Amino acid sequence: MIRRSGAAAALSAAAIAILAAACSAPGSSSGGSGGSGSGGSTGAASGPIKIAVVDAQSGSSSDLGQFEWRGVKLAVDQVNKAGGIDGRKIQLTLFDDQGDPTVGTELARKIASEGFTAMLGTAESSVTLAMAPILQAEHIPNITSGQSTKLLKLGSPYLFLNGPTGLTYDSTLAKYLVQTKGYKKFALLTNNDSYGAGEDSAFTSSLKSLGITPVAAEVVPADQTNMTPQLNTIRSRNPQVLFIGAEEAQSGLTVKQARSLGMTAVIAEGAPAGTPLFLSTAGVANADGTIVSSPYLGNGVDAASKAFAAAYTAAYGTAPELHGAKAYDGAEVMISALKACHACTGLALASAVRAVHRTGLLGTFAYDSQGVGIFSTSIGIIKNGTIEPVSS
Amino acid sequence: MNRLFAARRPLGLAALAIVAWVLPYRLNVYWISVADTALLFALLAVGLGLVMGIAGQVNLAQVAFFGVGAYGVGILTTAHGFGFWLAALLAMVAAVCAGLVVGLPALRVQSHYLGIVTLGLAVAFLDWVTNAPVTGGDSGLSGIPTPPLFGVGLSSQYLYYYLELIVLAAGLAFGYFVVRTSLGRRLRAMRDDALAAGAAGAEIRVLRMIAFVLASVYGGAAGVLYAGLIHYIAPETFSIADMFLLLAMVIIGGRQSLWGCVVGAIGLTVAQQELINLAAYAQLGYGMLVVAVVVFAPTGLAGVPSRVRRWRLRRRSGISAAALGSFSGVPSSGRTGAVLEVSGLVMRFRGVIALDRVSLRAEPGEILGIVGPNGSGKTTLFNVISGLYRPSGGRVDLDGRVISGSRPWRISHHGVARTFQHLRLFGNLTVLDNVRMAMDRTRSWWSWRYVFWPVGVWRHERELSRQAGAVLDAFGLAAFAGALPHSLPYGIQRRVEIARAMASAPRLLLLDEPAAGLNGDEQRQLAEIVRAIRASGVTVVLIEHNMGLVMSLCDRVVVLDSGAVIASGVPASVAAQPAVLEAYLGTTTLPSEAS
Repeated sequence: MIRRSGAAAALSAAAIAILAAACSAPGSSSGGSGGSGSGGSTGAASGPIKIAVVDAQSGSSSDLGQFEWRGVKLAVDQVNKAGGIDGRKIQLTLFDDQGDPTVGTELARKIASEGFTAMLGTAESSVTLAMAPILQAEHIPNITSGQSTKLLKLGSPYLFLNGPTGLTYDSTLAKYLVQTKGYKKFALLTNNDSYGAGEDSAFTSSLKSLGITPVAAEVVPADQTNMTPQLNTIRSRNPQVLFIGAEEAQSGLTVKQARSLGMTAVIAEGAPAGTPLFLSTAGVANADGTIVSSPYLGNGVDAASKAFAAAYTAAYGTAPELHGAKAYDGAEVMISALKACHACTGLALASAVRAVHRTGLLGTFAYDSQGVGIFSTSIGIIKNGTIEPVSS
Repeated sequence: MNRLFAARRPLGLAALAIVAWVLPYRLNVYWISVADTALLFALLAVGLGLVMGIAGQVNLAQVAFFGVGAYGVGILTTAHGFGFWLAALLAMVAAVCAGLVVGLPALRVQSHYLGIVTLGLAVAFLDWVTNAPVTGGDSGLSGIPTPPLFGVGLSSQYLYYYLELIVLAAGLAFGYFVVRTSLGRRLRAMRDDALAAGAAGAEIRVLRMIAFVLASVYGGAAGVLYAGLIHYIAPETFSIADMFLLLAMVIIGGRQSLWGCVVGAIGLTVAQQELINLAAYAQLGYGMLVVAVVVFAPTGLAGVPSRVRRWRLRRRSGISAAALGSFSGVPSSGRTGAVLEVSGLVMRFRGVIALDRVSLRAEPGEILGIVGPNGSGKTTLFNVISGLYRPSGGRVDLDGRVISGSRPWRISHHGVARTFQHLRLFGNLTVLDNVRMAMDRTRSWWSWRYVFWPVGVWRHERELSRQAGAVLDAFGLAAFAGALPHSLPYGIQRRVEIARAMASAPRLLLLDEPAAGLNGDEQRQLAEIVRAIRASGVTVVLIEHNMGLVMSLCDRVVVLDSGAVIASGVPASVAAQPAVLEAYLGTTTLPSEAS
């Protein structure tokens, strides 16, 4: 009996609450929820310019997030030291998305509610994909380190990439190998994780658009360390080029094993082949002649990268790599845009980013309507353990 | 104290409802999205609590159910142009199918083995979504539409909060409805002692599948809501790290309490936000918290109040045997006793022959004693008759119908009830629930009423409670109805076990050493009870070492030695047979009366 009357009390209480709630909608009156304002306008003329950096600082992709945070911070520290933008400093705030899209959406709302002008990051396409619709609705421009072509399909005018799409690595590489070098017989060895599967389809379609079908395409599990059986199959087809689509260590092992089987085919690969881990696993002699496609070949290829590497090393005590360079370029693009429009916000800032035309570490940025600013990678060749750019 | 609690509960519930309802007015856009996520995790946790805490099935694939629901909606809406709610319905069906698949291993393995298998299935799911083209691979699916409701698009985080709140409230209400009634009682009994639950008529395999289906419904619903909330899904959200976070929520909150699961989920989500700058250490923190909870408060935060209450209760009064009422006769069940016919029964365990062509017969209204030295096969005989073992040869008939080889629940439904040599009461069920569980004679498929005819469940429940109350009164146990078995003196627990066996209105009652551990007074009461059971027409077979009790109580005695029947007949004649004396004492000297 007690329980029943209690239930009735609970119901009536809930009904009262509903009636009370009907009087006004939640969220409409609560303070602190104001976004950065719609449309484009020049921001408040005083106080720092707030830029959010959203990158994984914990979880499996935290090292990527760490690299990118350093790259961004270096660029912003430099501009702040030089007096800021129209006398206003840039205030960076780092948010940890934990590599989790759900956390990303929550952070997108947080950034909006705390009045950030722009956002840099994230390290992973999936988190950016989750955040982009909210940032678009809140009119917050975002330069991401993501490379997925799905980012383009969102069609958000507020979303920009700080490097080429993942496809560009392979299309630039295929063009160089087929059109410049004249190779015709290609073999592919890729692993079965998401990176390897992506490389497999991207390089195959790049070759296809150039009228070439690979003579062999082998797939290995991502944790396999002995690639000899697949390499034997590939060797029997006698390819001129062996394209590898796997992470650094597995790529290095593949090269080492291919050479010990007596394969002489030219090795071609995307960004993993440009790393020290690849070199040390493959061995300097085996890696010789490997053709690498990467937007950032290394710290010593030109004056700009040397200056960047020196500043980065001075600030953090370690040498930079691709991700730091990309994030640095992205931050530089944002700074250029802010300078050009005098610290405007919203759509005006997005338009200013689109209008940026500057040469950075990765090449010359010129954004298209889809938010891509870099359309090719650089091709390098490994000689005596260092990467040298090829002149194409 | 309890009464006060019962009176407070609805008030607390009403206060909670008001708080939950007005909460969004106090939250900014960031915190409302945190609240939205917290409610989703709460729904997931309730599902995990049902399968793990209530049904005792280790399920590390809850996050996969979540994923199936979310990806179901994502794929159907973005790739096939389905409307949100139709896609949601189909996604729920897919989640239930996933629940059935994940539940299958539970039919063969339990505890940590089941944990490993379900974890494997969760990893397989994650692998599939990461690689399959249809799921968008690594970069997931974007552009999932906002669910419309009565013409209103739920794009506002605030409106979505209320949708989630209503779903969670409904989920909790249904969860409690299940837990507090017939189905949940069986699930809890299965968790506490699957063997005894089977012998009391619960279809263990079906119940395990039902548990996984329940978990998958909650997981699928959370997935559907997630897809509609975030509009984007990627493999990261369904990772093993998330599974362990969910597990931490349920364990810290208290897995045996659905409220505990909700508190754990909301608490940990909020803590995660507050500690976002310490995320690298937070995982370590959750890990240590889980270990601390498992060691110091195994029932989680939700279990703390009841532990404190029980401790105070014990200190204040303690349950004394004095409250034990007198036995007032067996409630008539309307059933008559059955003829038990065991013929040529053989039970081999690898090389050991535990039963060697045992034949015996028990008539309605008879008490048949089974005696023999330790290891002579008495309990094995009971285990074969009650279906725990499948015999290697021979057969058991009940009223001319073969029952040997059937599953325990089926034999229970044929009218066989038993007690165990070592007490096997359901430890986390009250005495009343122990009795109600055995009294419930419905089959598992009867549970469809939970979805389509809840009123039928309520009526059944009322009837069960009425009858169970009568059984407790008859056995003098009414004072202990709300007590947990292990808080009672041993002699009373023995009586509870007999009451539970009689609650199923059996035609044949198997008592395995019912007098073990009883004092003289309790033994006399036991004899009185057993005679009354015989008088009600039930056939009684009794294993007993206490020869005095056997001689005075049994109409006939069968003596087993090394798995074979060596003597049978009226007690006096059997006790005089040289073979019996030799089996017991190793010599042919006369036995003393009180052996």
